[in-house]
Amino acid sequence: MVQERPKHKWTMVVDIDRCSGCQACVVACQAENNITINEQRDFLQRRAKEWIRIERYWEAIDPSKPAEFPNVKARFIPIMCQQCDNAPCEPVCPVYATYHNNEGLNVQVYNRCVGTRYCANNCPYQVRFFNFWEPVWPESLRNQLNPDVTVRSRGIMEKCTFCVQRLSRARRTIEGRRGKRITDESMTEENLMPACVMACPTGALVFGDREDPKSRVNELLKEHDPRQAKSVAARGYRVLEDLTTEPNVVYLKKVDPHLKKVKAHA
Amino acid sequence: MLVFLWLVVPGPWPITGGLAPRVFAHYFWGVESTLYRPAPDQPLAFSHVTHAGALEINCAFCHRTVEKEETASVPAVEQCIFCHKIISGTGDAAVAEVQKLRDAFQEEKPLNWVRVHRLPDHVQFVHEPHIRFFAQQDPAAPLEATCATCHGDVKTMTKVKQVRSLKMGDCVNCHKDYNAPTDCAACHY
Repeated sequence: MVQERPKHKWTMVVDIDRCSGCQACVVACQAENNITINEQRDFLQRRAKEWIRIERYWEAIDPSKPAEFPNVKARFIPIMCQQCDNAPCEPVCPVYATYHNNEGLNVQVYNRCVGTRYCANNCPYQVRFFNFWEPVWPESLRNQLNPDVTVRSRGIMEKCTFCVQRLSRARRTIEGRRGKRITDESMTEENLMPACVMACPTGALVFGDREDPKSRVNELLKEHDPRQAKSVAARGYRVLEDLTTEPNVVYLKKVDPHLKKVKAHA
Repeated sequence: MLVFLWLVVPGPWPITGGLAPRVFAHYFWGVESTLYRPAPDQPLAFSHVTHAGALEINCAFCHRTVEKEETASVPAVEQCIFCHKIISGTGDAAVAEVQKLRDAFQEEKPLNWVRVHRLPDHVQFVHEPHIRFFAQQDPAAPLEATCATCHGDVKTMTKVKQVRSLKMGDCVNCHKDYNAPTDCAACHY
């Protein structure tokens, strides 16, 4: 059987140069995907669930001097499930609860999951989260749950889905009802980009279809992906690329004016 | 001993309720409909036989969002009053039921309809593409024929009852027949 070329290949590009670490994406994700509120005990036990998190690093502006107050800057990297093409989480699942679909998504099937947690142990990005407790919300927040997303019960694994519920809606409304191709514009208009992308005030997160030649991610990848662009200005990289997990999230590194100055002086 | 346990221990829904008789009926006489939960009593004896059958009201007139959204939607009391402000029904029984509805409207209380078709929370069923697909298959067919694919011939049911198992195997078989997606993420997310 000849396999059909998939219609979509969902990809995200994260421009770290634009990320201000405001955490709007984290809040949007928690609200969209029915993620329980992380309390102190969750963090203390390292069981907090954040499908997208902002990792913060302190770095010296001038590396030759000690990294103390004036000589220090904060760096932010949003980390979400990298939707690896060669995902380490998939082969270790004994019940095939996590698998790769033909749109390049690493899908977690909640009703298949038996909670062995092998996948979380095998994920180098630490973006899989286990439900150690039955999810509970304060009474006042019960009605804000998103009906399009399953509330995961105790004992199963969950992770970023690239807001598959929105992609599914895009397929229904844009492709199905109107018979048009899903484009960046139509997805943005209909509020069908992933929640983090819609919430990002600086446009650091760019989401799109790599099979659509006009998409913004394709443009960015052409310009910045070291596999496509050989220019010195190409800023693209994949996190932990040498593990050959082939992530579908590409990061564009920060343009650092300070560093240039330091180098110029040195 | 095992056989005894099998007879006594209630099976999973929809094979509930003690059960040996229904299970026997299914396996020995193939009475598939005995598998499903009996039609529940509703707070008000609403009759699909009258509305959908005799009066031939389109399904989507009351289940308004069925062609547009995820849920078909059960009409609110106000929506029933839209007609029943004027129409009081014929026959004592019908008049009494309509009066119940009007009372509920006056008291501003919702009618707590008992859900007949329930899917588990991890299944994201959406009516809209299903209706659209079957309408494209046969544009001449009325909407009720499309609905009947899963819900059976509702206009002949005095009390609405589930007629298909609506379990995953049932869905997947149909999806395969019609070349619909069978990717897990099509329904589970």
